[in-house]
Amino acid sequence: MARYGMVIDLDRCTGCRACVEACKVENNTPRGSFWMHVFRFEEGEFPNTRVWFMPRPCMHCDNPPCAKVCPVGARYKRDDGLVATDWKRCIGCRYCEVACPYGVNCFNWKSPEKNYYLDWQDPELTARTNGAIPPYKNPDLEGRYGPEQRHVAGGGHLKGVMEKCTFCVHRVEKGLSPACVANCPLFALHFGDLDDPDSNVSRLLREKRSFRLLEELDTQPRVHYVGSGHAPGAEARQIEHVKGRI
Amino acid sequence: MAVQERLERLPYGLGRFTPAWYALAGVLLALVALGAYAYLRQLIEGLIVTGLRDLGTMRGAAWGLYITFDIYFVGVSFAGITMAALIRLLNLEALKPVSRMAELLTIIALLLAGLVILPDLGQPLRGIVNLFVYARPQSPFFGTFTLVIAGYLFASLVYFYLDGRRDAALCAQVPSRLQGFHRLWAAGYRDTPAERQRHARTSFWLAIAIVPLLVTAHSTLGFVFGLQVGRPGWFSALQAPGFVVMAGVSGIGLLLVVAAILRRVLRLQEELTPAVFAWLGRLLLLLIVIYLYFTAVELLTSLYAGHHHEVALTRALLVGEYSALYWVSMGSLVLALLLLVGQVALRAYSIPLLVLSGLLVNVAAIGKRYLIVVPSQTHGALLPYGVGWYAPTWVEYSIILGLFALGTFLYALFVKVFPIVEVPAVQGGKR
Amino acid sequence: MRTVLAILMVLCGFALQAVSYFFLAAPLGIPSGPEYSNPRLPLAPLLFILGVMLVFLAAVVYELLPEREQA
Repeated sequence: MARYGMVIDLDRCTGCRACVEACKVENNTPRGSFWMHVFRFEEGEFPNTRVWFMPRPCMHCDNPPCAKVCPVGARYKRDDGLVATDWKRCIGCRYCEVACPYGVNCFNWKSPEKNYYLDWQDPELTARTNGAIPPYKNPDLEGRYGPEQRHVAGGGHLKGVMEKCTFCVHRVEKGLSPACVANCPLFALHFGDLDDPDSNVSRLLREKRSFRLLEELDTQPRVHYVGSGHAPGAEARQIEHVKGRI
Repeated sequence: MAVQERLERLPYGLGRFTPAWYALAGVLLALVALGAYAYLRQLIEGLIVTGLRDLGTMRGAAWGLYITFDIYFVGVSFAGITMAALIRLLNLEALKPVSRMAELLTIIALLLAGLVILPDLGQPLRGIVNLFVYARPQSPFFGTFTLVIAGYLFASLVYFYLDGRRDAALCAQVPSRLQGFHRLWAAGYRDTPAERQRHARTSFWLAIAIVPLLVTAHSTLGFVFGLQVGRPGWFSALQAPGFVVMAGVSGIGLLLVVAAILRRVLRLQEELTPAVFAWLGRLLLLLIVIYLYFTAVELLTSLYAGHHHEVALTRALLVGEYSALYWVSMGSLVLALLLLVGQVALRAYSIPLLVLSGLLVNVAAIGKRYLIVVPSQTHGALLPYGVGWYAPTWVEYSIILGLFALGTFLYALFVKVFPIVEVPAVQGGKR
Repeated sequence: MRTVLAILMVLCGFALQAVSYFFLAAPLGIPSGPEYSNPRLPLAPLLFILGVMLVFLAAVVYELLPEREQA
């Protein structure tokens, strides 16, 4: 069975945030929630500064702290390597959120009808889209996935449950790559089977220097960063203050 | 064999609801209603009405006041069972008069601890159902849920129930509106020598069984935090023992306060002698010293050997954003320590001063709990998201206040329907 | 009789706890697959709680069991 993973080429990333945008549209996440986030760092003192960018999806760890602490098994590891959240089982205790060292979890703090990235229920907009299926009605998000047939694609963003990057499980099961990967204009993001030596991700990992985030915690992330960059240390600061508001 | 002792009327003002009691109950129930209203608002609108927000890009805290007070309430529950264990295992007869009020404190505190988790859950109904169906032993919440709520609360109830049967049987002989309740509680107890012996035996074994449960139950709560490798300030082997000791500090402290209030209101000067308070004071002193030692060890470790995230978090506590709360908590703890040391050194115990230390350590307990839960989330991010922020809203304050009021109301109600200290033996129908 | 029953309840309670914790609930270890998210027997956590309760109920049974008529 395939064991999926993501490889992010930091040499190619320009911090354009097309992946953030693609994720928002594909999954229609609530306002303030970013399943994908792009860190935009600067380092050093003027004039010797360096600016670099680091997309941050869920790491889909092989030793996931979030799945370990989930009291009801709503967060679990799938056999294909994805760390999934069953939004029909989650009780909303947010333990996974505080256990995750990467800060990738997003809680649904309120009912999903308002403040969406695209508020498709707006009558003016509905008239213009002319019957196209808006993302918030994307039936794929409601479906059951994997051999265990569980609700792991985010659904209708039910109030009071936890969500995070799903690696677009509804696309992956159709043989497509996640929305962020498919929409990266510079091919900085790659998705594939890490167990298959001929896959694009395995090839990239062989060819380029790579690292993973917070490897010292032994979470064993399935997201690898390649290129000349390095993991952000104490000297990395975000160029602009990022604060999601709802 | 019939009960040899007879009461002429119910002791300690049982069944006599005075206007002052009704006034107190009215105020408390109004506060409970406020809490219920706040919770209703939260149920309808979601946790958006709280000050909680996501970690990471939202830069908030996902756990806040609810978790803080959950730990606090569970901590307070330390008092009752410890008293029971000390009395039964170490034969500390001197502490016997406070044993029932301490056990009641335990039971009510655990009830509140169970209740305060509900507003913390995004899906409270699922929480109740799914925990029974799916709960995973690997999650530190498993222990909190099974051992604290089910085991600890249930064991305390059993102990409390069995321990009260003698007094219930005594009260059941007095005709009153409460007679049926007392008779039900007594469940045929007739105070025969055989029954007494049996009770002595069960309470001894229960005390033995409960002591390990006490340590594990308070530790599981520490493990909720101490096992999180990705959270500076939480990940520490001292977390679980620290929780046990802090539980003792807050529990004994609150017991001092409750005992003093009951002594005053129910005129229990004869039963609750200063010697009882002195005992509690010495116990409290010992626990505070242990706790301060743990704090020093932890501070030294994180400042000397911690990586930069750990040091940054400790700085936020000592001199940064949380320094006010930190030093108020530590100051209260040290002040309480000094008050107790002074009294022990002079061998002169003053109940008001002991109560003051009890109050101080509870302020410190709430403060320290908050400082465990929140700063690691706002200032402990391992990826450079920037510093976060959390402030509770009126909804959170109201729910906590409502729960405190509910607990106080239950306590006040119980004191009116059942003797809170053991009914003394009476001879020949006279007290 | 009374003692035997109480001891039996305590033993059964502990046994139930151990069995449900280690063998019936979700497995321990690194959660590397979906099987770690489900109890092996549905409602295993409830069994564990019942085990805990059984231990302490033994005390109630020990004290409240009605005395037999003297034969």
